[in-house]
Amino acid sequence: MSERARDDRRAWSPLLAVIRAPVSNRTWREVLYCLAGLPAGLAGFLAVLVPLAAGAALSASVVGAFLGVLLLVAALNIAIGAGSLFRGLASGLIAVTLPEAPKPARGSGVLGRLEARLRDGRGWRSVAYLAARLPVGSLGSGLILAVWTYALFFLTYPLWWNAATRQALEPHRRHGLSSVLTPFPAGGARITTAGGAFEVMLLALPLLLLAPWVGRGVVALDTWLLRHVLTSASLASRVRELEESRALAVDDAAARLRRVERDLHDGAQARLVAIAMTLGMAREKLGADDAGVDPARARELVDSAHAGLKEAVSELRDLARGIHPPVLDNGLPDALTTLAAQSAVPVGHFVDVPRRPTASIEAIAYFCAAELIANVGKHSGASAAALEAHLVDDDLRLRVWDNGCGGAAALPGGGLAGLGERIRTVDGALEISSPRGGPTTIVVRLPMHA
Amino acid sequence: MRVVIAEDSAVLREGLVQLLADRGHEVCAAVADAGSLVAAVREERPDVAVVDIRMPPTHTDEGLRAALELRSEFPETGVLVFSQYIETRYAARLLERNAAGVGYLLKDRVADVADFTAALERVAAGGTALDPEVVRQLLAVRGAVSGLAALTARERDVLALMAEGRSNTAIAAALVITDGAVEKHVASIFGKLGLEKSGSDNRRVLAVLQYFNR
Repeated sequence: MSERARDDRRAWSPLLAVIRAPVSNRTWREVLYCLAGLPAGLAGFLAVLVPLAAGAALSASVVGAFLGVLLLVAALNIAIGAGSLFRGLASGLIAVTLPEAPKPARGSGVLGRLEARLRDGRGWRSVAYLAARLPVGSLGSGLILAVWTYALFFLTYPLWWNAATRQALEPHRRHGLSSVLTPFPAGGARITTAGGAFEVMLLALPLLLLAPWVGRGVVALDTWLLRHVLTSASLASRVRELEESRALAVDDAAARLRRVERDLHDGAQARLVAIAMTLGMAREKLGADDAGVDPARARELVDSAHAGLKEAVSELRDLARGIHPPVLDNGLPDALTTLAAQSAVPVGHFVDVPRRPTASIEAIAYFCAAELIANVGKHSGASAAALEAHLVDDDLRLRVWDNGCGGAAALPGGGLAGLGERIRTVDGALEISSPRGGPTTIVVRLPMHA
Repeated sequence: MRVVIAEDSAVLREGLVQLLADRGHEVCAAVADAGSLVAAVREERPDVAVVDIRMPPTHTDEGLRAALELRSEFPETGVLVFSQYIETRYAARLLERNAAGVGYLLKDRVADVADFTAALERVAAGGTALDPEVVRQLLAVRGAVSGLAALTARERDVLALMAEGRSNTAIAAALVITDGAVEKHVASIFGKLGLEKSGSDNRRVLAVLQYFNR
């Protein structure tokens, strides 16, 4: 697609998004999420409130203190369970994934364990979330229901009106349900002409266009609550995250060094020893000792040693490229272009990275692209692929697409999982979209500095 | 001499086969992993097996374990183990019970074709072949502690060659001295270090190694 056509598409896309919104998949999922969340939120809140209040009250007294504490802990556990339920709903319906809060230490002894549970931030945050969600959820769901009901009601108004006017011919049925402009018995205007009915139907249009955005707004509010109340963006969990990714980085580095050592040992070293052997034999054939001189055989051996040395040099060159490809010195555009050109599957590439990221990010991006393109060649059976690199909001965004058979997934211990871990160590992200039957799109996001 | 080779690097394996064939030895089998090695030795009953320590699947010490198995199951077959790096504990394990028909060489040693084939023939005949590098490390590490200071430079050379498993004649050839001179040095060494007189060359190796492992 030409650049101009792409730009035109980009200009039109917000308008297209608005028009498509009412019938888009996302809208239905969000409505479902809000509707499902309402009873769940209510039930969860009550299930937590009762033992929490009872526990708090009992703990204040001397006699029931232990029982009170038990009730509090039970309430917190229920809250954590409810929190997981909402996490699951969020990740399933509105594609919001939240980091798992790490479990705190268990504590020893009965009192120790109870204390650990009481101190567990997750429980209290879940209680706060449930409490905040109640008004948000109920008002929000109410609003969404209202807007959609009105929109659908207006859309089908002529039908109601038709039925209503026929009804109204019977004198004792003066106001039918739908001769008024609202589904509810109170208020509203009277529509007396067929033309008016159609005008009402037209009113449905703006409501329909508005409805999904109301939903988005409510979901956005809930997502904010999920991200900032239910999960903690606190320093402690960030530190834990960094510790994990540092461990991954160290393991990764050690594994890479071991691979290099193996490649050197099995490849270059073995070859060089074999060549030394061949030359040793050749020397004998040239009369180094008193054994017979055999120049023809010596020539053969020297030829064989020569060929072996050339292969050793090329193996070492490949190994060096695996450690640091020289082409990266010129920047990502050149390096990615070379990668694309070397692939067996034709790869269309588009690289637009005006600023150079730091060297380590460049290397990670290059090796990610290399592995992803190699996967396209090895597993996808695709006939065409695309490699794009852009700067998006101060992040380097690498996208590899192919029209192959799909089914790519980050299986534990597999290549994509390893790639994801390496990307995580620099706070990047890996998104895989690969339904069976294809096409596959994999997006790698990396910060500009590690 | 009939030989079985176990080496996972194809390049090196082919080179060894060629080398031995060139010298007129018969390579009955050339395999790439420990399991096939034991099976091949069982079937072919060669004079000596050449075994790489690092082989699939884990590339740690499959070859060594196979070598120990061969030593106990087929004592008439010599086993020459070789590896890229010196691992003195592997040498110790190999020589644990007896030093007859055992060898441990660095892969680099293969480049010296004459030395390599001599070592191989020694092992096939029931002798010992320790890599000079192993011996050097042993002597360097322990030398200061033990009574090496008492030996003359010439005696230290003889000791090193003895520890490699060479016979008196071979030592004489290597140092360009007479057989008689070698015998005198050997007797002197045994006296100074307090080693007991042992009959065969491989028992000598054991004696020397045991001395250094005290």
